[in-house]
Parts: sequence; structure tokens; C-alpha cells
Amino acid sequence: MINTSTNLAGIKMKSPVITASGTFGFGREYGSFYDLSLLGGITVKGLTLKPREGNKAPRIAEASASILNSVGLQNPGIEVFLDEELPFLRQYDTAVIANIAGNTIDEYCEMAERLGSSVDGIELNISCPNVKEGGVAFGTKSQSVYEITKSVKRHSCVPLIVKLSPNVTDITEIAAAAQEAGADALSLINTLLGMAIDVHTQRPMLANNVGGLSGPAVKPVALRMVWQVCGAVKIPVIGMGGISTWEDAVEFILAGASSIAVGTASFIDPFAPVRITEGIVQYMEKYGYSCIDDFRGKLKVF
Amino acid sequence: MNCQKSIVISNKEICSGVFEMVIEDKCIAEKAAAGQFLHLKPVESNEVLLRRPISIHRLDREKALITLLYQLKGKGTVGLSKIAVNEYIDIIGPIGKGFPIESEKRCAIVGGGIGIAPLMQLTADLKAFGKPISCDAYLGFRSDVYKLEEFSMLCDKTHVATEDGSFGEKGYITDIFAGNLHKYDVIYTCGPKIMMSKIKELCSTKKLKCYVSLEEKMGCGVGACLVCVCKTKAGDGDSWHHSKVCCDGPVFDAEEVLLND
Repeated sequence: MINTSTNLAGIKMKSPVITASGTFGFGREYGSFYDLSLLGGITVKGLTLKPREGNKAPRIAEASASILNSVGLQNPGIEVFLDEELPFLRQYDTAVIANIAGNTIDEYCEMAERLGSSVDGIELNISCPNVKEGGVAFGTKSQSVYEITKSVKRHSCVPLIVKLSPNVTDITEIAAAAQEAGADALSLINTLLGMAIDVHTQRPMLANNVGGLSGPAVKPVALRMVWQVCGAVKIPVIGMGGISTWEDAVEFILAGASSIAVGTASFIDPFAPVRITEGIVQYMEKYGYSCIDDFRGKLKVF
Repeated sequence: MNCQKSIVISNKEICSGVFEMVIEDKCIAEKAAAGQFLHLKPVESNEVLLRRPISIHRLDREKALITLLYQLKGKGTVGLSKIAVNEYIDIIGPIGKGFPIESEKRCAIVGGGIGIAPLMQLTADLKAFGKPISCDAYLGFRSDVYKLEEFSMLCDKTHVATEDGSFGEKGYITDIFAGNLHKYDVIYTCGPKIMMSKIKELCSTKKLKCYVSLEEKMGCGVGACLVCVCKTKAGDGDSWHHSKVCCDGPVFDAEEVLLND
């Protein structure tokens, strides 16, 4: 009997497959393609205390095997999420993780309090590259990661996941700081800061000039960082970054990730998270694994 | 929402850089409406990662055919142009809000370049409407013209302008349209943003109803990723909101959308 269930720092999920924040809205759109209860969890679009309209369009550009986005945290604000979006998501048997972003530590804390125990987990977004204040500003120095994690942890009554930026010199230092401050889990990677230029107009492809790179091209970078972080901390890790196939997902689990998140792949194939889940089950059948921990972190390094 | 593979019946260049693709799919043909679009996967590889939104040009609901008109702009559309007859194409759709039809009104469509694409099915629907609605076409092109015959068959009068004067009137279609503004109640437009802005401005002076079909770079195409936004009015005064072109549009009431920001 194959058991794909995962307990991520107290968040119980029926499979290790989660949808990544910012790529899945609040679930409604993809809920018209398949039953959202097939997912281990849904990490919702990044929330802020007040509604945000985000950056100017164009907000997306294509690069080789990847995309750049500069949405800039457009969202209806935490109150609308709690009143209108969360009740929709709660119809499904899937974990709901709220991704939160703020301009100040106080804003993050206030949001964690407002969420209370209405969600299964909180993902601390200190890695958004598309906003001027807050976002990645908190996520690139160990000291500030420690401070914000410690503060928000005091105000959260559900497991706190810290989402790390890859735009740092040593991600293991940042990971260790988050763990030290009391983070229950880590998720990585957020997007890599990138750029694309239209040679005919001689202007950047994004109205924000720069944006976050995601998609298959970033997977090797994400995998390396997940592997390094899993070796450096004891808390569980959600691996993400370019996962498009079940093989990609298994790579992250072999590298030590307890769960994995599917992001950009949903844009191309709305069923990607479901297909990846099925592929993981077939892999487990093939190699006789009965649970995720049977192969998690079992990478045989040279 | 549907996501499936459908068969390509034909895919040919109708004039320099402009292609017409015919897809057979009963489900899409039955559900689709003028002004909606299909989100197509042009290439089965990671090199061109994203889907491409292409508006529905013509529907034959009986024969289950959907015709698309697209212009080669980059890797995605070049990929689309290379799909051979009898090959399958991966489609999400139909998506979006199409053109509302207002009965017993005098209509005009104003299309610029490849922007004429979604207006064709609209004119067919206007003609087929219970009590046929009168509709004139205003079509503007840079130089090469296409699809004029079909528009002429569906519309009462078809005006054409080219920027280089190679066909029809020389100049901008907006100038020809401006002279006939008094003849209409409802205007539908699709084309370059500058053209649609001008049409919106003209309609606004005469308080005519105007619908614009917008284009924006898209990600998911279904409203989840929030990349394809446009500014729309929110409440009173100058306040605005970012609406999603893919699912709040692509057709908007011109008065609701801020085209120049």
C-alpha cells in the first residue's frame, strides 16, 4: 500500500504536491479543471494587509525555458481573502497555506494574527523581487531574516514556513537564521531576479524593467539550493523552482525536500500538479516505496 | 474549463506574415462566442514555454470548425505556423468575455491590422441575429489587406484604408470613421492601442456605446497569474483597478477601461 501523505511541520497533507504561491490564484481558476482535493496543498497568491494593484503591464516575458514576471503582489488584501476566498478553498480536502508579504515587520505580524488558525500554515514571503519595500528586502540578510521570523512566529498559531530568496550569496546561512528564529519549515526557491530586452524597441520586456525568473531553466539552481539547505537545517523543506514533471519532483525529494511545489508548469499544463502526483505514485510503485520518507533525502552523493 | 488536443484541418499563409488556421473541435465550436480566444501551445518543447492567446476569427458550429487568424510576431506564432495539417494542437478554451450584442442598434466594427480577426465572427453573429442588425466595417491596414471579401459579404458597407495608399483610402481608418460617426449607435473595435484610443475618444464625444477588444501578454490565460492586466475604472473619480484581460475581458466597455495609462 502506497502512502503519499506528508506531515510538514504539523501541516498534514495527503500528498507532497503543493501549488506555488502566485501561480494558482486562490484556486478558483484551476478548480474548474480538476478537483482541488487531489492536491496536497494550495499556497495562495501573496497577501498584503491592504489590497494592492501591483505593477504596470507588461508583467510577463518569455526567456529560454523560462518566464520573467513582475506582477508586484497584486491581491485583494487579507480581509477579502478571509471573507471571500478562504471559504471557497475550505470546500476542498486540501491544506491551505497563506503566503503573506508586508512593508514592515508589524504588518507581517498583524497579518499572522488576522489569519489566526483559519489556515493550515503561513508562508512568510520575504523574497518577492517585484516590490520596492518589504519583500526581498527582508530576505537577503541573515540578521533581518532572523528578526522577522522571530517576530512573526510569536504572532502565528499555525506552522510558519519561511520562503527563501535565491538572490543571496549563501542560502544556507539564511536558512539557518530562519531555523534559529523558530521557523517550522522552509520553502525555496522564490524567483531569481532577471531581465529581458526587446532589441527592436531597445526597451526592457517588462514594464518594471526587471522581474522574477521561473520555469524549467531555474530548476538546476533550485535543486542545488534545496540540497544544500536540506544538509544545513533540520526543519522540513518545500522544494520548488521549475518543477514541471514527476521526475523533477522526485529529484527534489531525493535531494531532501519533504514536499514540492508546482508553479509555472500550471500555466502551460493546468493539470501539471495532478500528473506530477500520479508520476510520484508510479515511481514509488516501481521501486517498492511505501511512503515518501522511504526515498526522501536518499541521494547517493559522489 | 477545457484543455484538450484538437486536430488542425488547415494552416496556411493568406498574405505575407498572416496565417489562417482551421481547427476541428465540436466542444469548442459549440461553446465559443465572438470575441473569445483560445490559449494555444505552439511548440511541444520547453524552448517556447508559454501558450499563446489567439482570438477566434470564425466559427462554423455545424461543421465544428474554429478559424483563427494570426500574424507572425515571434517564436510562438512562428511555432504555430509550422503545425502541419492533421497534427494536433493543445488548446485551453474558449476563454474570456466576448462581444455583447445589442439588438436593434446600428453598428460599426473598426479593425486595425490583425485586430480585424475577432470582428469577423461578430459581424456574422450580428447578421444572423433574429432581427438582422445593420453593420458597417471600417478596416485599416499598413499596406497588405486581407479578408476584405468576407467582411464585404457580412457587412452592409466596408470601408478600407491603408497607410501607404496601396488599397482603399490613403491614411488612417479612424479618419474615415470619424466622418460617419453620426450613423451608428454601437461600435466594436480591435487593433493597435492608439487606434482604439482614438475610436474611444470619438465615441465618447457622441456618447456612443463602444466595446474594445484588448491584447496583453498572458501567462496562464485563465485568471490565476495576474500578468495580463489593464486599468479599469473603480468607483467614482479617478480611482482605478487592475482587471485581467484574459477573463474580465478581452472585450471591455470602452468607458470602463483606461487605454492611455
